[in-house]
Amino acid sequence: MSLEQFKNRNVGTQEYRMLDLEPTPETGWGRFKRVVRRSVKLELFTGLKVTFREMIKALFMGEMHTTKYPFEKLPIAPRYRAIHEMKRLLESGHYRCIGCGLCEKICISDCIRMDTRYDENQRKEVSEYTINFGRCIFCGYCAEVCPELAIVHGGRYENASEQRASYALFEDMLTPLDQLAQQKEYPGFGAVSPDADEKIKKTPLAY
Amino acid sequence: MSKNEITITIDGVECRTTEGEYILNAARANGIFIPAICYLTRCSPTLACRICLVEADGKRVYSCNAKAKEGMEIVTQTEEILEERRAIMEVYDVNHPLQCGVCDQHGECELQNYTLELGVDSQHYAIADTLRETKNWSTVLHYDAGLCIVCERCVTVCKDMIGDSALKTGPRGGGPLDKGYKETMPKDAYAMWNKLQKSIIVPSNGTEHTNCSDCGECTAVCPVGALTERDFVYKANPWELKEIPATCAHCSSGCHLYYETRFSSIDNPEEMIFRVKNEWNFQSLCGAGRFGYDYENRNVSKDEVAFAQAVAALQKAETIRFSSMISNEEALMLQRLKEEKGIRLVNPEVRPFQRFLTAYAKSSGRSLYGSDYREIMEESDFVVSIGAALRNDNPNARYAFNNVQKMNKGAGLYFHPVGDTLVPTFGKSVECITHKPGQEETALYLVLDLFADKEALPDYLREYLEGFHETRKKTVKEKVMKEVTEIVKDEETGEEKEVKKKVPEMVEKEVEYDHNLLVEALGADPVAFAESFEKMMKKKESFALILGEDLYGHPHWENLAKLAALAEKHCGMKLAMIPPKSNALGVALICDLDEEAEGYTVGYNQPGDFRLSALGDGDLDMPAMNQQEGTMTTMNKRVVPTNAALEYGGYTLNDLMNALGLGKRLTVDWTMELPVDRGFQAEAFDDLKDGFLNDGTEIRGYALTPIRGRASTAKAKPASDEAVLEGTIAYRCNPQRQFNDFTDKAHQIFEAFALYASPEKAEELGEKVEVIFEEGSLTLDVVADERMNGEIVAVPDFKASADVYRLFGESRYANVTLKKV
Amino acid sequence: MDGYIIGTIIKAVLVLAIISALAGFGTYIERKVLAFMQRRLGPMHVGPYGLLQILADGIKLFTKEDFIPSGANRLIFMIAPAITAMTAFIALAAVPLLPEFTLFGVTVRPIIADINVGILFVLGMMAAGLYGPLLAGLAQNNKWGLLGAARTAVQFLSYEVVTGLSILAPIMIVGSLSLIDFNNYQAGGIGEWLIWKQPLAFVLFLIAGFAETNRTPFDLLEHEAEVVSGYATEYSGMRWGMFFIGEYANMITIGFLASLIFLGGFNPWGFIPGGLAIILKVSFFFFLMLWVRASWPHIRPDQLMWLCWKVLMPLAVINVTLTGLVMMF
Ligand code: SF4
Ligand code: SF4
Ligand code: SF4
Ligand code: SF4
Ligand code: SF4
Ligand code: FES
Repeated sequence: MSLEQFKNRNVGTQEYRMLDLEPTPETGWGRFKRVVRRSVKLELFTGLKVTFREMIKALFMGEMHTTKYPFEKLPIAPRYRAIHEMKRLLESGHYRCIGCGLCEKICISDCIRMDTRYDENQRKEVSEYTINFGRCIFCGYCAEVCPELAIVHGGRYENASEQRASYALFEDMLTPLDQLAQQKEYPGFGAVSPDADEKIKKTPLAY
Repeated sequence: MSKNEITITIDGVECRTTEGEYILNAARANGIFIPAICYLTRCSPTLACRICLVEADGKRVYSCNAKAKEGMEIVTQTEEILEERRAIMEVYDVNHPLQCGVCDQHGECELQNYTLELGVDSQHYAIADTLRETKNWSTVLHYDAGLCIVCERCVTVCKDMIGDSALKTGPRGGGPLDKGYKETMPKDAYAMWNKLQKSIIVPSNGTEHTNCSDCGECTAVCPVGALTERDFVYKANPWELKEIPATCAHCSSGCHLYYETRFSSIDNPEEMIFRVKNEWNFQSLCGAGRFGYDYENRNVSKDEVAFAQAVAALQKAETIRFSSMISNEEALMLQRLKEEKGIRLVNPEVRPFQRFLTAYAKSSGRSLYGSDYREIMEESDFVVSIGAALRNDNPNARYAFNNVQKMNKGAGLYFHPVGDTLVPTFGKSVECITHKPGQEETALYLVLDLFADKEALPDYLREYLEGFHETRKKTVKEKVMKEVTEIVKDEETGEEKEVKKKVPEMVEKEVEYDHNLLVEALGADPVAFAESFEKMMKKKESFALILGEDLYGHPHWENLAKLAALAEKHCGMKLAMIPPKSNALGVALICDLDEEAEGYTVGYNQPGDFRLSALGDGDLDMPAMNQQEGTMTTMNKRVVPTNAALEYGGYTLNDLMNALGLGKRLTVDWTMELPVDRGFQAEAFDDLKDGFLNDGTEIRGYALTPIRGRASTAKAKPASDEAVLEGTIAYRCNPQRQFNDFTDKAHQIFEAFALYASPEKAEELGEKVEVIFEEGSLTLDVVADERMNGEIVAVPDFKASADVYRLFGESRYANVTLKKV
Repeated sequence: MDGYIIGTIIKAVLVLAIISALAGFGTYIERKVLAFMQRRLGPMHVGPYGLLQILADGIKLFTKEDFIPSGANRLIFMIAPAITAMTAFIALAAVPLLPEFTLFGVTVRPIIADINVGILFVLGMMAAGLYGPLLAGLAQNNKWGLLGAARTAVQFLSYEVVTGLSILAPIMIVGSLSLIDFNNYQAGGIGEWLIWKQPLAFVLFLIAGFAETNRTPFDLLEHEAEVVSGYATEYSGMRWGMFFIGEYANMITIGFLASLIFLGGFNPWGFIPGGLAIILKVSFFFFLMLWVRASWPHIRPDQLMWLCWKVLMPLAVINVTLTGLVMMF
């Protein structure tokens, strides 16, 4: 998309369309005439007609707009940023997070914390991970910075809570093991771009 | 070393520097950036990375190794150099695991930084990787060979600074480089790679373990995540940690360090120290400083009952007994208590030192020894150490001794009764003289004899010293060329010919030599000594003398102090003493100590009838040094600030002073009041600077001003053998990383409170012994210290509750009976 | 006589009960109609189709804390809502609601008091209703309330003139002030309706009626976008509820008046019996008010005054004059 139209800050030359409003009458007589004209033309009734038409449409033509929210939900956009999910590796089911702490670092509301340790297999184990959703502003930075596509935003947007602080633990956010097959990649912030393969330079390998 | 100021031009900027300074250091001091990986300030250039390449007067040189000359024109970046550097970084990245995400160096990694700095965005080289395993070299060292870039900084620092030389490069087992690279690659990068591909780092003793001092300095200098502290591996990401500049409180070096803190864990939001970092280019730490950080007094709240009791105890106290692990401010508060309430101040650690220092001041006319360890390290090329167990007493004195050998092509003389196997390895020109305990006077007289300008010596001394010289005869083997005539038969012609030839022949010859009875008295062979001393003295210009704790408690301390002053004056030696414990110098300067405790005693981190303790086991809790702000006095004669790394919720000494009506608003309000007449300055704590400048200048706090007086001209007494000990001897000396109860509390310091002995002696003693002193006895496990030699055993004093000072009395040596149990 | 008194009391109680209930129901209808016109559903969850929402609101209003702001004139603050509600209901006393009918052999006249100055009484009572908002606004020690009160005075007083003048012409034609007479005058079927004779008066009356009931487009008294909640700013709970009931009762009253005066009242309408006819007519007016609210924006105070004094009042005077002239000749 070209950004031309956004870069043109000369307001005067933009394509505004003037409504063909008649000039406001200056004199009392003029104003009187306008009242009479409008009354005779029954302009006011056009408004009444519109609302009545809408009512008929709504009641009898099934064009009611309402979604009965808690009982019905609209699908949210795939890039919507709601309560986080922590993904697992598809093959092994091991959690993807490597404990690099980038999300913790970048988080502008400082609501991520994690505990890591050196485990028996000489690997970095994430022993606990929390997000305080009372502070999270759902900016998506954590998902964007995560090198492992481990932390992403999910679709759960109902966050009412009795307390201001609301901690989610690692377990709460990890894909349950039995739902591993249904785990979906997140297309939003931080996802690999579709043309990523073309953009990468390959490192030579000696074997 | 020459100190001529010169001017060079780096990238068009005129820079002042001294002649003989490396270009890299000159650039750094002037704020000009030259990339460099393998070079460590204060250590010898390794030339492993070659990235510090610059052009000096049109020639390519390695700036960490090339010395600046007057008028030099240096260019730090040319097309060619950049290409070379980029290639070097690419090579470093070959087969480097892509694991920054979990790496402990992540965020402060020089490989990351330089890779970005030099714009490496693609890789052109490749070679098959070799399996490199992760190893734990000791209780504190964790080596991940996969991440190692073989810059050899660890090897260098261990050799040139620490002195253990515990690491070396070993074979990696990697295949040869593709031949084609030789032509296509920039040549320095190729050479570097060639070497890199062949090596990794291994412990130099050929085993899997370093068996070293466990100072951890190698982990600090490692530019990547290859060498790390075991305890810290994968525990926290470096950037989460808050850096708190502080002063290490364990020994009298008062090293600058950073405590790195963060919340303990998700469950526990309390701050906790995760590790210690240091400015390794300018300040090396020891194991106690690096690993003995978690000694804070945890979970303390204001206990009003205990506080009231403490106030009452201080009201009726006749004596306060305290350890020297306190700040200058606290020492001043105690002194104020003495002045206002007449309470006696007792500190067995410091008292002998204070006496010695006073005696020295009387003889020399200066309240403080003339030099410091930084100066010795930079300038001296001959160090003499007397009365200090260098390896154990003070790490920085030892680093200085070692560094002089390595960096200044120096020599060293080490006088000590306890044999040490490490000190001789510091350099080829290190001579150890293992004399008997009590012979320190003789040693000092020998120093006078060896180094003093004889003409300037007072007559009585000159005569006294001359008394030790005898002209003796010795038989030496000499090579003489002798002329022999031989008859040679020409094989072809059969002719016989007489040929004159010179052949060497050894003949024995009697020569006269100067037999030094002082050397003999100290148990060394005067002949051999004279020979090696002659070699040691070659091209030496600047001499230094380090005096240790043995002298302070020596029965003839007064005479020793006199001799020290004489040596300083007449030998032109830089004199530095080792204050025995943490803030001993500060305490010695601030407090008027009494000899004996009397009556009701309040102990501060020491035994007493009422105990104030930062260890959490006393009657009233006090903050530990990492929870306090204040100043310390270092052995480099500086007053340096330290900051509170962790919170403390209880009462402080200042609160007690307030309750007694003597306090100030804050502890650091006392900083202003440190006694100016003893060399301190009336500077507010908040005005004190901290840290180092780019060129290594220390700007921490301020230097003490020596107070000058009249030098006394009293004569020194001749050396006497009265104090010499024979038989079974115990030496009051701590294992390497232990200094006090606080190091003992730290979870990464494992050295036990035990009897330390040389391996042979330990075998002889068995597992456990009772050490019987005149005053009492101690039952201790026996631990073999591979670096000890000889018969003398070491008894540690780091546990205040064991009250080892009482057992030994003032001297560090005591005759004991060792009984197996 | 006793029977008369008892009957009257019973009628009064019934009217009070029914009209209050209708006012509540009116809120439901209003929400529904507004919702439909915006293609929404309106209240849906309390009871079937949200019918019990009225009940829920009632409970809410009754149980809400009834607070009186500090610095308010407590007495006036407390009685002001009652004035609104009372005047609204008292006005209904002189309005014949339905045709006569016979119940258990008793002939019932569904009017509480058939006084011969019915119209004057109704108008007078409605005009007295102005004291409710006015006093409420003045008593509550709140600047929005004060502004609301000022607007009340201006708006109600002004439009009272238009109302009066607009029905003067029908009164002249009918020659009585009793609403029953009005009804009877139009008994002859649609053709007899006064609206045909007095179309202008009908329009003026309607406009003035909107203004008097404080409905969009003339809801200046408590317009949220301008004066928070105007005279009702500090009111909560049932006190606020009384304003509300008063407003709805007034809407119904105006509905009845318009039906009775101009649209043939409760005379049977073709095959539709009179009772049902008037209910349908009132319902239409009620619906019209909601419809208008859904469709039109409200106007500025100055436009309101301009409309009243420079357009409506002159038109009403002209209408009266013309009617008089026509009747004379
Ligand atoms: S979405 Fe933003 S605020 Fe929330 S956890 Fe991630 S980085 Fe922090
Ligand atoms: S950025 Fe991703 S991989 Fe790194 S700690 Fe956060 S969730 Fe784990
Ligand atoms: S050593 Fe440096 S480059 Fe290597 S993985 Fe660790 S952080 Fe990354
Ligand atoms: S362990 Fe670290 S300091 Fe030692 S050679 Fe490897 S990278 Fe360099
Ligand atoms: S811990 Fe200290 S002594 Fe041991 S290898 Fe490292 S630098 Fe050398
Ligand atoms: S820094 Fe000069 S060669 Fe490495």
